[in-house]
Amino acid sequence: MIPTIESGIPGFDELTVSEISEGGIPKKSTTLIYGPPKTGKSIFCNQFTYHGLLKQEPCLYLTTDQSLKQLQSNMMEFQWLIMNYIQNQTLYVIDGISQLSGAKLGETNNIKSSSVANSSDMMVKMGIGTRSVYKKSNHFRSVLDSLNTLIAFNPDQMVIRVLKAYLRRIREAGGSGIIAYTEGVADLETENILKSLFDNIIRLDGENIHFEFLSEEDDQLYNFESTYTITDKGLVIGKK
Amino acid sequence: MIPCIESGIPGFDDLTKSESGMGGIPENSSTLVYGPPKTGKTIFSNQFAYQGLINDEPCLYIITDQGIKQLEAMMFDFHRPINKFIEDKTLYIIDTTSDISEGKPQQNGNIVYSYINNPTDIMVKVGSGVQCVYSNNPRFRSVLDSSTTLLAYNENMLILRVLKAYLMRISETGGSPIITYTEDSADKKVETMLKTMVDNIVRLDGKELTVEAMKGIGKRSSPYQITDEGLIL
Repeated sequence: MIPTIESGIPGFDELTVSEISEGGIPKKSTTLIYGPPKTGKSIFCNQFTYHGLLKQEPCLYLTTDQSLKQLQSNMMEFQWLIMNYIQNQTLYVIDGISQLSGAKLGETNNIKSSSVANSSDMMVKMGIGTRSVYKKSNHFRSVLDSLNTLIAFNPDQMVIRVLKAYLRRIREAGGSGIIAYTEGVADLETENILKSLFDNIIRLDGENIHFEFLSEEDDQLYNFESTYTITDKGLVIGKK
Repeated sequence: MIPCIESGIPGFDDLTKSESGMGGIPENSSTLVYGPPKTGKTIFSNQFAYQGLINDEPCLYIITDQGIKQLEAMMFDFHRPINKFIEDKTLYIIDTTSDISEGKPQQNGNIVYSYINNPTDIMVKVGSGVQCVYSNNPRFRSVLDSSTTLLAYNENMLILRVLKAYLMRISETGGSPIITYTEDSADKKVETMLKTMVDNIVRLDGKELTVEAMKGIGKRSSPYQITDEGLIL
């Protein structure tokens, strides 16, 4: 059996049960979550993050589309309160976008400001962040939401390089990472390269969720599919 | 409960009512209004801006498609005179067209001019514009009509970055921005990127208004008409 972690998305862990897995997200793996705009990718990521926090798994969160302030208020709408986790430092946030609005972010031990336009700074901060959450627990989660703004601010090649460095760090430290990306934002070629970098792929199209993972155990590709809805509790799988 | 501001479009607030919201545009959220040419995107934006003004919510208006005179005339045609709000400075306009066509118009405190082919200058003026409307009331609106012209005059990726910065700036200070975009006027990639940058998406196709995305509600649509009072659902 491959070790997994609970996704936090009602129905997801049940959906992904197989001969080699009890369901959930494979531990120490990287997952790309993609689909058209407004299909619930960020909600999925936030749910995954919050569930980990509830289970005392620290999280490294890179937010590049929304400022930390917007992230907090978006999570609040689902009653996912992250303030406490910021205070007790189990949630480590790298805010890559606030600088753009001219807002000054008060940096602390676990709140760092970077800029999507400065990829080397992002990489340095990612390194420091990974080390910091790793020290707390080698059983941690990491979210990058999303690649879109990075793509708007940097050449595709650069984004891929940053992403590779990030994924390597997460893997080496033993974390489980989820990265969000909106379909169609980059060229098809880049999109294909992106997909090839991950262990697992989740696609959301507004109605259906598709999960695909390559098992290292038997080298087989496992596929799962179901419907989903977005409720005031977040994403819920398999209910119409 | 998601707090909302009145859209100013008759029928829209009813259409967007839900268990968690009273209808309208969620406060402090950003909206993309898009669709084919001549479907009422500008009229939608104008109604939104005007509703704010009569509710004492100041507005930062960036026009790239028409000059200030045309904007005033168009608003007047729909019985929404804005000269009063220009005078009491609750309406702040950044006009990026008049300079090109009308020589040098007069610049005063809340009417400033910029150049469509100079996004850096536009951003600088947005910066001071935000400060000005924000000092009036932190609950303000902003309209950018339209992104299409900006995209036509400049490199697409640059404009996407400018628009992202614009949206961040308005949102961080507490305002609610609207951006209009003419469907298919740029790369599909640009359209996707625009959609990812905003919270709400409204599409107008000439007959039907579709709320493709909005906090707390699913997809909804309603037929609409353009009357001499503006857009009505």
